[in-house]
Amino acid sequence: MSKLKNNILLSGAEIIWECLIKEGVDTVFGYPGGAILPAYDALNNYSDKIHHVLVRHEQGATHMADGYARVSGKVGVAIATSGPGAANMVTGIATAMMDSSPIVCITGQVPSAAIGSDAFQEMDISGAVIPVTKHSYLVMNTRDIAKTIKEAFAVARSGRPGPVLVDIPKDIQSQIIEFKYPEGPVRVPGLPLKKFPEISDLKNAVKLIMESKKPIILAGHGILISGASKEVTELAELVNIPIGWTLLGSGAIPSSHPLNMGMMGMHGEFSVNNAIQEADLLIACGMRFDDRVTGNAATYSPNSKKIHIEIDPSEINKNIKVDLSIIGDLKTVLKQLNPMLTKKAETNWIDTLITWQKQSSQRDIINLKTKTLYAAQAIHDIWAETNGDAIVVSDVGQHQMLEAQYYKHDEPNTLLTSGGLGTMGFSLPAAIGASFFRKDKSIWVIVGDGSIQMTITELATAVQENTNINIAIINNGYLGMVRQWQQLFYDERYKETPISSPDYVKLSEAYGLKGLRVKKRSEIAPAIKLAESINGPVLIEFIVEQHDMVYPMVATGADLNDMISRPVNDQFQESEI
Amino acid sequence: MKQTLIVFVQDEPGVLNRVASMIRRRNFNIVSIVAGRTEQKKITRMTLVLNEPDRTKQKQVVSNLKALIDVYDVVDVTEVKCHIREYALVKICVNKTYLDDLKLLFLEGHCRVLDQDEDAMLIELSGNESNVGSAIDILNKHDVLELMRSGKMAMVSGNSDQNKPKLVKSDPNWATQRLLESY
Repeated sequence: MSKLKNNILLSGAEIIWECLIKEGVDTVFGYPGGAILPAYDALNNYSDKIHHVLVRHEQGATHMADGYARVSGKVGVAIATSGPGAANMVTGIATAMMDSSPIVCITGQVPSAAIGSDAFQEMDISGAVIPVTKHSYLVMNTRDIAKTIKEAFAVARSGRPGPVLVDIPKDIQSQIIEFKYPEGPVRVPGLPLKKFPEISDLKNAVKLIMESKKPIILAGHGILISGASKEVTELAELVNIPIGWTLLGSGAIPSSHPLNMGMMGMHGEFSVNNAIQEADLLIACGMRFDDRVTGNAATYSPNSKKIHIEIDPSEINKNIKVDLSIIGDLKTVLKQLNPMLTKKAETNWIDTLITWQKQSSQRDIINLKTKTLYAAQAIHDIWAETNGDAIVVSDVGQHQMLEAQYYKHDEPNTLLTSGGLGTMGFSLPAAIGASFFRKDKSIWVIVGDGSIQMTITELATAVQENTNINIAIINNGYLGMVRQWQQLFYDERYKETPISSPDYVKLSEAYGLKGLRVKKRSEIAPAIKLAESINGPVLIEFIVEQHDMVYPMVATGADLNDMISRPVNDQFQESEI
Repeated sequence: MKQTLIVFVQDEPGVLNRVASMIRRRNFNIVSIVAGRTEQKKITRMTLVLNEPDRTKQKQVVSNLKALIDVYDVVDVTEVKCHIREYALVKICVNKTYLDDLKLLFLEGHCRVLDQDEDAMLIELSGNESNVGSAIDILNKHDVLELMRSGKMAMVSGNSDQNKPKLVKSDPNWATQRLLESY
């Protein structure tokens, strides 16, 4: 093969790797199989430039690529074979789509002549992923591989990022052609999203902001994608506006910033939700008014004017009607908007929020004496022991909400979580992916006993790669969030939510990593210190109170400030452990 | 109210699938969809009629369509002066008793006989929605053996620039500052 390379004759498979290297890829996550064999064979010639991480399930590969993309800002790459391999990727692709994460998935396909014949391991993956990708390709000619991969990367990272899939039949990978890399910019029919805002919109925004008495900034994931943390903070400081954030906006504004009031939405801070309902101006920055942050959309922030700064025009008026939309890249928009504003120093509104904040903190579990270990305490202590400086990858469920409440992030892109799709099993593989970019920080997986069992196979990947991650399993013996809904809305009929777990310490031993178990609060700090001192994966199981719930909570369909708060007698509850 | 869109797409395999899939996924209802070649090579033109009364949602479906990589441009002609035509084939039993009805239809110019034998007559109808609709109503009074009605095709009147699509490929490759910095 290398002889041919000198003559710039390359196989389609080699062209795949050449193109990935051109895109700056040095790590890929994948799993070999029949239809992608030519690509894996060609990888022998590129092992010095590309590190391939062998996953244990293709869903893991997509989450790893996603985690890698979220911490790095680069495009993550996942590779799988045809049929079942490709089908296993769909969950991870949908996860990346919902959270605007740029990944490129490359799949093998049965030989082009066999397409449509229900061949062994054939599946129409490029058709199947149409609803969950920005775009998908089926390459039917070796000459089109380079152009297609280049276009796939451009599409994945442009404008509002997202996943792209490239499906390449086996014979197209094997065919040898004279290779010429397509130089010049990519051109596609799809209209590029606007980067620069309309000046008239900015002028209208200035008027609304300067007239407002009770404004609040809604900080979303777009701030992180756009890299606009500094600009949003500037805006807030300039006009003295409090900030509430969405789950994926965590860390966009430092938690320690005095104007940062906390998370909004279903399990957000009462003070923030109340402020949104009482506000006379919402400035939504890179967020999309998801149902989990609005509560009842009909009664959402009834008296406010709403400014929506957003890159994707189809998000405007989708869930909440706004008075002014500014379409463009958030950073670009704010760089133009901020200098047009004049300084304001009123503090009445901020003081009101702080009063609400103090009132609602009285019921916080952290301030209560408890007989057993509570999940919130475990997560709070992980925050304290890691000095709030770790990259946290949380999964989906009660622990995810508690992480958002108790792990205070001061830096952008230090919380990775599946916010939009809510994919259980996301955290372990995403953390493994992230670890290939962020070697400078300790990485903590915070995961429930339900979620970990969805992708626990990736422990083997973590061990094989000696990934430096710490896995905190918050084990309450239940699918806790579902149980919480059964308790509140289904008359405590706990159908199929008690869930058994393996002995995680023994399991760790079997997989070849260090496993620890923590039952008391006093054991937390030493366990975390030990985990931090070990190079390689470490698993800590926290046995926590089984029947605790995430408070406060907005029930579905309720008004945003109509929150269920923690009952005061909670600390007397007997534990069953 | 119905919404009528003219969608210009790249002539690639699966593009109809992508458009239809997006409409279904976003919970819009397709009344009719017609796709065909245009004056330009490699560009397919679709006329899409949706059952969507809400003006806000009408705007959204346009944005959603524009977000598809294969879509060059979308022109919303719901409130634009344009001609919307459709086509139908109807096969009826031959019976002298309703020749008068048929004469009336021929006089209006929306009807043509394509084929006739002792038992059946194959009739072609074309025109706007009400032309074709009322012709079908008349024919329906008799013995209709088969009927096939097409979707609608739209073209804007005049040559104003306002409703002309942008049919150029462009560079999607502007990325946010963070993505640029990561390389």
